[in-house]
Amino acid sequence: MSLEALLPSAIDGLMLGFVYGLAALGLTLIFGVMKVINLSHGPIIALGMFAVFILFSGFGVNPYLGVLAAALVGLLLGVAIYFVAVDRVINATELTTLLATFSVNLMIIGVATVIFTTSPRSIDIDLGALRAGNVTILGTHGVAVAVAILVAAALYGFLFRTRPGKSIRAVANNRAAAELMGIDSRRMLALAFGIGTALAMTSGALLATLFSFTILSGGTYELKSFVIVVLGGLGNPTGALVGGLVIGLLEGVLTVFIPVAWVPVVEYVIFVAVLLLRPAGLLGARA
Amino acid sequence: MTSLAVRSIESGYGEVQILWGASVELGPGKLTTILGSNGAGKTTLLRTIVGLLPAWKGNVLLDDRDVTRLSPHEKAELGLVLVPEGRQLFSTLTVLENLEMGSTPKHARATMRATIDQVFGLFPRLAERQTQLAGTLSGGEQQMLAIARGLMSKPRILMFDEPSLGLSPLLTMNLFEIIRRLKRESLTMLLVEQNVQMALAVSDHAYVLERGRITIEGPAREVRGMEQVRKSYLGL
Ligand SMILES: Nc1ncnc2c1ncn2[C@@H]1O[C@H](COP(=O)(O)OP(=O)(O)OP(=O)(O)O)[C@@H](O)[C@H]1O
Ligand SMILES: [Mg+2]
Repeated sequence: MSLEALLPSAIDGLMLGFVYGLAALGLTLIFGVMKVINLSHGPIIALGMFAVFILFSGFGVNPYLGVLAAALVGLLLGVAIYFVAVDRVINATELTTLLATFSVNLMIIGVATVIFTTSPRSIDIDLGALRAGNVTILGTHGVAVAVAILVAAALYGFLFRTRPGKSIRAVANNRAAAELMGIDSRRMLALAFGIGTALAMTSGALLATLFSFTILSGGTYELKSFVIVVLGGLGNPTGALVGGLVIGLLEGVLTVFIPVAWVPVVEYVIFVAVLLLRPAGLLGARA
Repeated sequence: MTSLAVRSIESGYGEVQILWGASVELGPGKLTTILGSNGAGKTTLLRTIVGLLPAWKGNVLLDDRDVTRLSPHEKAELGLVLVPEGRQLFSTLTVLENLEMGSTPKHARATMRATIDQVFGLFPRLAERQTQLAGTLSGGEQQMLAIARGLMSKPRILMFDEPSLGLSPLLTMNLFEIIRRLKRESLTMLLVEQNVQMALAVSDHAYVLERGRITIEGPAREVRGMEQVRKSYLGL
């Protein structure tokens, strides 16, 4: 196998890794702040896809405006999910919060399947392509990477430069102390859940500009998010971004050698191996 | 100046009752101390006052307003602030960020910069370590930060739970100097302190808490002279 054949798919995979990382960022943020593993992550990614699809095919809205709309809807939806399903069990055991978010998963999938059916959809946009040698970079992929980087940077700016962002980190670190200092911790948890959901929906929205999808497609990306999050260390945002690139690159390279259908298998193996050998993630635990 | 009245508080953990009708009054601008042996329920009382633990019975009145059922952050907004036992810093945030979080109440935000300068004046060590993560500070520095963070909220009533724990004798002296200074500024304070000698010396009023009940109460000077207090808490 020559490097020449490997390079295009490696680059393609790496670029996709940014979008995967964005989804994983949402999952890891929610876990890092409130120790809740959000099992509604996949369906929310799918909702992001359908938000762009409906706006585009129903109302002719530019898909990238659709991405923005998906992010805003995600924020509101996440806050709502927090208050309806998560807040009441936030101090319960992990199994209880798992079941709570899983029930949200079932509800979204159930309702959305009735509305959208499971037939495949796609969004037809062409932004041209950039060619250098045998490497082709589609415009849509380039924009998706740029948006993902921008969103990740905005998240870091928010968490480290603004008062609500710092308050979320304070609540994540010591909820009781945050309350003592006057921080409305419940509000911060709801906000964090909203942002995590917005990230998942944004990621789904971007994926919708790249590939065709169904309402069940979220599951695939949910699995990837879990692998990435475990790889990067549960609750570690930087780890999620790096993990996203690793999984994206791996996927790109793997598909040169093995059938695409085998990729999830490899991802599962990595998932289990990391859990067994390095449970704190390859990047180590957050300080 | 603000006053606080705690009336016949009962509370505990799960089924286990710890406080059995404790009543405490903090006079406006006064420094009050609560003595009690390990496990007497001092921390439990403070946690119940700020709302980290629910009061089973009894009331907490802030300037005659019943605040018993408010959550801790609502009480902090009203100026009722606890510097908790064991520091409870935001270990993954920097020193400066910890201070910023201290100034969350609305009345404290506008003057945050000035208050930061003020607490850096009190604790120059913190100024040198602004960008360091709180979790990497030495024990003494962490205690300073916990106190400084409490001051950032511009409290109307400030309660300390074992503030000298882990401090060197010199830093303990500094701490009491700061408490005296706050007292001169007429801040209403409650002090729970293992260093009973020094606590009684700076306080106006004192209570003794035994197995969840107030057993002795009076002006600090008088309490200091009591035979039972001298034997049990001053080791004389
Ligand atoms: N989280 C908890 N769950 C159950 N019991 C607790 C808990 N915290 C404290 N207790 C119990 O409540 C009683 C009072 O504890 P508290 O911490 O209020 O004492 P204290 O007077 O502050 O003691 P110290 O001087 O050692 O700080 C003790 O018997 C303690 O074991
Ligand atoms: Mg105590």
